[in-house]
Amino acid sequence: MSLAAEPWPAYAGATSARTGGVAGALAVWRVELVKLSGKIVIRAIIALSVIGPFLVVGFLHLQSATPGDTPFGQWVHASGFAIPMTILGFGGQWILPALTGVVAGDIYSADDHLGTWKTILTRSRGRAELFAGKFLAAATFAVTALLVLTVTDLLAGLAAGRSPVVGLSGQLVPAGHATWLVAASYLSDLPPLLGFTALAVLLSVASRNSVVGIGGTVVIGVLFQIVTLANLPQWGQQALLSTPFMSWHGFWGAPAFYGPFLWSLLTCAAWFAACSAAAWLIFRRRTIEAAA
Amino acid sequence: MKRLGRVAGTFAVAALALLATSCSSSSNLTPDRLQPSLGRAFANLYALQQSEMGNPRVTSAALKARASCEKGGTLDVAQQGSGVWLCQITYLVAGPGYPVIAKYNVDLQTDGCYAADGDGPASVNGSPTITGPGYRQVINPLSLIDGCFDTT
Repeated sequence: MSLAAEPWPAYAGATSARTGGVAGALAVWRVELVKLSGKIVIRAIIALSVIGPFLVVGFLHLQSATPGDTPFGQWVHASGFAIPMTILGFGGQWILPALTGVVAGDIYSADDHLGTWKTILTRSRGRAELFAGKFLAAATFAVTALLVLTVTDLLAGLAAGRSPVVGLSGQLVPAGHATWLVAASYLSDLPPLLGFTALAVLLSVASRNSVVGIGGTVVIGVLFQIVTLANLPQWGQQALLSTPFMSWHGFWGAPAFYGPFLWSLLTCAAWFAACSAAAWLIFRRRTIEAAA
Repeated sequence: MKRLGRVAGTFAVAALALLATSCSSSSNLTPDRLQPSLGRAFANLYALQQSEMGNPRVTSAALKARASCEKGGTLDVAQQGSGVWLCQITYLVAGPGYPVIAKYNVDLQTDGCYAADGDGPASVNGSPTITGPGYRQVINPLSLIDGCFDTT
């Protein structure tokens, strides 16, 4: 019984002979996804994303108090649509950065920790391919996790009740429209999530330390939240990477307003470009030493 | 490589310039924005409250609800920004000659969202629950009003 007797996994097959830029990055991406899917933490996160919302619904069902200090909080017993919106309003700003930080904050520095940069860089993949492939894998995880949360939170809400929900202008939103608004609200958190992914990648590359990569992302997310409590000028508020997590508020107005969402696209694009460019510049010029 | 740096630099400068142009006013958390938003939310929720209680149908437009808000209760405080605002909502339920006033303590946050806590009259917004047909207890929509307005 030797490894050679086993069939080769697809990612180690014929494609690795070619050293094309995109093909190479995709090969790294596939390897990273295989590595991620084997991690117990990642499996636990996905499992929790699937069952978590239903646990919240069950917990709310058991008691009569309502989470009062967040929009939609007082309606959690009146309409199922209020539940995913309360979760998003209460937790979006810190759960989502932490979620992407766990992967993106570790995906580069893990190879520093394990001392494996030298090994993988002497294979047929260049630095650009490795950087792009790992980045793509981190982004894939972030997008997947958000999509899973969107579906499970919505399903948990629908299971709890489909009565019309009171929107943020006091209007009653009928069930059909509310379903779309819940989905749109969750998806509007995708740009800041990718912004935080790039930030975590930058921390992971720059510090070569997963504690800084993961913890730093969470801490910066919390810091942003504290800063938003101060009366910043409007442009300062818009420039923070945490503000876009709340841009869905406008979707629930009557009439709806999309100014904050459009601003969030600009803010997130700027953060994403700046962080990923800085990470690449650092990664590209780094001297890789032998494993310590 | 240099080109990438230049692209990133250009992008950063463009973003900064955009931000700088929007810097003119210091805060958009003003009565001009809060008052129409709160008035509209109150009117919609008043209509909901009446239908929950099984009373004759009211349309929110017919109430002509208008909010008037002051920060900190006096005009000495700068009339902008997050914090506690005191609002009075004047609305018409029995014809134009009989305006009714409802009071709210409004906790306004920096993102343009607010929680307006009913502060009288007790029969309108004082109780967290109201009694519907068949003695059914439901949430009083006017007791706590959650709303948001555009700050951009």
